[in-house]
Amino acid sequence: MAATAAAVVVRPVTPVQASLWSDAWRRLRRNRLALAGAIYLAFLIVVALVALVHTPYPMAGVAVATPYSGPSAAHWFGADNLGRDVFSRVMVGAQISLTVGIGTQLIILAVGVPIGLAAGYFKGWFDSIVSFFVNVFYGVPDLLVALLLVVLLGHPGLDKIIIAISVTRWMDMTRLVRGQTLALREREFVEAARASGAKPFKILFGHILPNALGPVIVQATFGVPAAILFEAFLSFLGLGVPAPQPSWGSMAADGLSAIRIAPHMVIAPSIALSLTLMAFNFLGDGLRDALDPRSRR
Amino acid sequence: MPTPILQVRDLRTQFAADGGVVKAVDGVSFELYPGESLGIVGESGSGKSMTALSILRLVPDPGRIVSGQVLFRDQDLLQLTGEEIREIRGRDIAMIFQDPQSSLNPVLRTGFQVDEAMLAHGRPKRDARSRTLELLKKVRIPAAESRYKDFPHQLSGGMRQRAMIAMGLANAPAILIADEPTTALDVTVQAQILELLGDLNRELGTAIVMITHNMGVVAGLCSRVLVMYAGEIVEQGPVEQIFENPQHPYTWSLLRSIPRVDALRHERLRSIEGIAPDLLQPPSGCRFHPRCPFRIEKCFHDEPRLQDVAMGQQAACWVMMKRAREEMGADKLIDIRPGAASGVHPGEIA
Repeated sequence: MAATAAAVVVRPVTPVQASLWSDAWRRLRRNRLALAGAIYLAFLIVVALVALVHTPYPMAGVAVATPYSGPSAAHWFGADNLGRDVFSRVMVGAQISLTVGIGTQLIILAVGVPIGLAAGYFKGWFDSIVSFFVNVFYGVPDLLVALLLVVLLGHPGLDKIIIAISVTRWMDMTRLVRGQTLALREREFVEAARASGAKPFKILFGHILPNALGPVIVQATFGVPAAILFEAFLSFLGLGVPAPQPSWGSMAADGLSAIRIAPHMVIAPSIALSLTLMAFNFLGDGLRDALDPRSRR
Repeated sequence: MPTPILQVRDLRTQFAADGGVVKAVDGVSFELYPGESLGIVGESGSGKSMTALSILRLVPDPGRIVSGQVLFRDQDLLQLTGEEIREIRGRDIAMIFQDPQSSLNPVLRTGFQVDEAMLAHGRPKRDARSRTLELLKKVRIPAAESRYKDFPHQLSGGMRQRAMIAMGLANAPAILIADEPTTALDVTVQAQILELLGDLNRELGTAIVMITHNMGVVAGLCSRVLVMYAGEIVEQGPVEQIFENPQHPYTWSLLRSIPRVDALRHERLRSIEGIAPDLLQPPSGCRFHPRCPFRIEKCFHDEPRLQDVAMGQQAACWVMMKRAREEMGADKLIDIRPGAASGVHPGEIA
């Protein structure tokens, strides 16, 4: 008996988690796929930033290599139909994809969050109007709306694409925030805040939004790859960023006609695109698990 | 008699429901004097919380305050604009809630939430921080500096309720409404919180309105008590007097149902027979008659009004406990089923 008593080891008590966020960060780090996604995305952001100041060859530089020539030491991803360096163009493409993906989500956040908060909190006629428009926009095909907008907004360009995608994709965020607000507004701490004389603005942004931030972040993270894919698709159709700006979508379209003789023209941007989409989705999944209190393990 | 700081007159709050109107608060009138501690007792659904929420106009949808006056410093709170009542909330009249776990925002630091109660009423940021620390000490939170930075889930239940009280007191309100502040806490912590509220009431002169279903809480803290039943006040008066000599059978039953340590071992715990009435279709006459052992025929169709029964004490009953004691042997009563003492049953009347 004495031996068992001696074997009892006092385990150091794990420190109390400081907050929801440090808790979430701890869980996120344990998720390998999410971590890999985050690391890849960090790398992609660095590539996009480097491309701002330096690319191995000018991205629009015609005939820096033999047209259609395959990958080589000088041209890692080969050259395209005009003899441009595909590697340099993929680098600039990263910039465009990230700009579109993050840009649309920023617009969607700026629009969806306040509208969703107000609709969920005040209910009544404002909520009816918002819900009506959300349903209308879900009803019309997003491709049709985006195509129309790109044409109607005049000269194609990155800003037009961001606007077009935002217009067709703002509903998910609005609906999510509205739903969260509807649930949170009934919570006692909101009533307590009202009882202490807090103004509606303060209640919405100071009390309700911080509690809805987890799902909002997850939604935005999933929204980025969706927007990137949409942009690639528009560019593939020739309605994206204007030449000679290289979008991964338009690069793939350029290569399609020569896929038998120069498959690298399609493969290089496609792999870049796929990896990016995967990375965002893995990260989104990881964030959802990390930020959702119900999935706590 | 000093002038009351709060006068509630004929307050009526109703909820639209399927198939009618629920009269949650039905013609409630009372006064609150500066520095007083007033208890409002009643069962779940008696309208005590709705009375409190109506004062600050925080009645949840689809509830509506349909009539009455709430006079605070000669101003009718029910007539103020949204902006004006918001200024009153938390500054002049503060409120703390039942469950400190859910009344604190889980993602904001505790001290910050106390700060905010002051920032909402225009106190500069630099003052707020030091005043918060002072308040946390005042509500006896140990190591206030480090608790300031803690999130609510890092505090114990009692500590959270102390933090809520600190928030309530942040702007030195004239009135603090406490809606069952001890119900979610265990008994030893309850006692500490009650003691704290009592001390704050004496030290700061803050008038306290204590809403509870627990007669023991009233005895420990309050000087005057209102007893509510089915949306109405059935009895009110000084606490000692009511405990000593309740005149409404409902109050009498409530007091009898407190478990006693000195009760005989085999003695059954006394409860009140029957269930609280459906407020969608409240009983005719006196609303307590379906559960009252002392009811007489009049109770079935005539509604009693509050009348003076002693100095400062009023009750709304056709019989009153004085008569129940003298004529129906209330003190020795074992069988407390409806109509048992008076022998009046609905079948015989019809």
